[in-house]
Amino acid sequence: MESVIMSRVFNRKKRLDASVMNLAQANINTEYVIKDIRTKDREFKNFLFTLGCYPGEKVTVISALAENYVISLKDAKYCIDKDLAKAIII
Amino acid sequence: MGSIRVALAGNPNSGKTTLFNALTGRLERVGNWAGVTIEKKEGYVKKSLNKTDTQIMVVDLPGAYSMSPFTSEESIASDYVKNENPDVIINIVDATNLSRSLFFTTQLLELSIPVVIALNKSDLTRKKKTKINVDRLSELLGCPVIETVSTKSRDNGLEELVYKVVEVKGNAQIAPFDAEEVDMSDKSSVEASDKKRYEFVKGIVSQVENRQISSSAQTIQDSIDRILANKWLGIPIFAVVMWVVFSISQTYVGPFLADIFVGWIDLFYAWVERLIGEGASPVLTSILLDGIIGGVGAVVGFLPLIMLLFFLLALLEDCGYMARVAVVMDPFFKKVGLSGKSIIPMILGTGCAIPGVMATRTIKNDRQRRTTAMLTPFMPCGAKLPVIALFSGAFFNDAAWVGTLMYFVGIAIIVVGALLVSRITGEKYSRSFFIMELPEYKFPSIKRAVVSMLSRAKAFIIKAGTIILLCNAAVQIMQTFNWKFQVVAEGAENTSILASIATPFAILLIPLGFGVWQLAAASITGFIAKENVVGTIAVLYGITNFIDTEELSLVSDGASVAGILGLSSVAALAYLMFNLFTPPCFAAIGAMNAEMESKKWLLGAIAFQFGMGYTVAFITYQVGTLITTGSFGIAFIPGLIIVSMIIGCIAFLVKKGNERAEKNLALSV
Repeated sequence: MESVIMSRVFNRKKRLDASVMNLAQANINTEYVIKDIRTKDREFKNFLFTLGCYPGEKVTVISALAENYVISLKDAKYCIDKDLAKAIII
Repeated sequence: MGSIRVALAGNPNSGKTTLFNALTGRLERVGNWAGVTIEKKEGYVKKSLNKTDTQIMVVDLPGAYSMSPFTSEESIASDYVKNENPDVIINIVDATNLSRSLFFTTQLLELSIPVVIALNKSDLTRKKKTKINVDRLSELLGCPVIETVSTKSRDNGLEELVYKVVEVKGNAQIAPFDAEEVDMSDKSSVEASDKKRYEFVKGIVSQVENRQISSSAQTIQDSIDRILANKWLGIPIFAVVMWVVFSISQTYVGPFLADIFVGWIDLFYAWVERLIGEGASPVLTSILLDGIIGGVGAVVGFLPLIMLLFFLLALLEDCGYMARVAVVMDPFFKKVGLSGKSIIPMILGTGCAIPGVMATRTIKNDRQRRTTAMLTPFMPCGAKLPVIALFSGAFFNDAAWVGTLMYFVGIAIIVVGALLVSRITGEKYSRSFFIMELPEYKFPSIKRAVVSMLSRAKAFIIKAGTIILLCNAAVQIMQTFNWKFQVVAEGAENTSILASIATPFAILLIPLGFGVWQLAAASITGFIAKENVVGTIAVLYGITNFIDTEELSLVSDGASVAGILGLSSVAALAYLMFNLFTPPCFAAIGAMNAEMESKKWLLGAIAFQFGMGYTVAFITYQVGTLITTGSFGIAFIPGLIIVSMIIGCIAFLVKKGNERAEKNLALSV
């Protein structure tokens, strides 16, 4: 019984995940609004906040370079890695 | 007549150190990327800018994005402004990125310390057709705003800035943003308050800024990035860039300048020789002429070449290319358990390993920081350049590929080393995020490159006149006398003090192809300062200078120097690598000790560096000899035993580390 419930919960979660996009799946040159930052690293999340990377802000992927992404955020350009791009939900 | 203390605070790469240098006339290191400054620096505003009778001390702080620090250099900045009570804060705001910079500004305005805003890079906003209403900004924030261009030497707004600083001293600062009492322990309320702060900043920006080109639009800069930081082209382009730097400095322009310069050294040598005359004691004469002037001269002879190289590297740094190199290297570094943050110390390490190692303190993760501090000295630093130049000149006809190869071997060793360390510590499963601001490309400032070159040259000359001079004198004395303090007879050089000390080490070096006591002694003096390798070789082989004034080549008649040293080209390459990739000089080891904060790590690092240098030199010599002559070099078997022991040791540690990693993984699941 318990496992049935659990599997339902997880399936539901999976379906939810499919409906959300992260920055690694974003189209280049399209402006998106950040919905969530998914990381357990609170300190890093706070740091991203001070750069202006938090839910509600706009972000654009400029190009994909050498396994990294160039993003435009608050008038500055940053290079981020794929792991971080995946953590930024749009 | 009074004196006031002013703190420079602002976002990374907003130009704080450039402004600091412009205000004080100092020559602190700047670079066109975030995070060059890691410690606070103090200096007085120079007289030509300060028309008031108040003495102004400026404190340059590392960059910070907010008052709540994330990195250790951010905490240096926020701790200073919070605890040291400066009289005035100059907040450097990057005019091209108001919306991010003003977040920190509003926090600074809440400290009840008068703030003057230096709206820096105001020349760039004009270029981008962005207009900023300075008066309105000043009104909204409730503090003076001065437009500055700290890279320009005239008409840069600095005089006005200084004037305003003196004027506002002692004023009360009213915060424009009313941050209600926030319970700092409650994370969600802190977040909500910070969000409000950002909204407030947005409101200001929308009132003062008139932007014609959206910053998220594609520009030529982005197209350049796509080529320079391309997945496949990035590294080949970096190799070509380094090769061009080396060929200019070493093959073409360098020898020409060195030629003129060495002429002067020769004149000086002859002048001193005449001054001493015939009557003086031959031992003293030889210590002075061959030991001091000859040895130091041999090192100083490479000065023009080093200056040229640093000039070119400074241009590269200033134009913004180095940040792209970090982007290209990041995937490789990540695969071996380091992050892109480790690249900055390594780039700084190309100048000198000490600031490079010190820059590792910006890395939060202990293992990453220690690993980076341990591997940074593998980058060929300025002191190693004379060694590279000597060997590529004497044995490889000044080929630029030798220097380029040394950089890439250095990088390869770093990658392999990082991989081994991550395995040994058993943390191969840990990951970290990478984010780095990409500075805009700009035309490099010739003036700044000249300044950087001159400050390097000054440091180089000071070192040559102190440590290297003493070492060369000591080497000359130790090779002149034997243990009974009798002058060593000609033909009996092996009985000198130096020979008897260096011979045991030389035996270990036989499998590497250079097992003679002279070269062992040169390597040992290299631990005091790497330039000593060149100086000691000059003293011990009686070569007064390597650079020929007759022919236009860097090393006088390469074949003759090669002949005197009695090495094959392959052995020479092995010797070069041995000197570059064994532990760095003692000063750099001291810096490693400070940043690693662990004796265990330090000893491990030194052992690792020895093992690495020995192994690389062994492989170079033996494999190279096999290829060039068809058989292995001398003492292959004993060498193989030593190298197998080194590799076995590392393999054992890796195995233990792996077991620990599996255990940790099992625990965490």
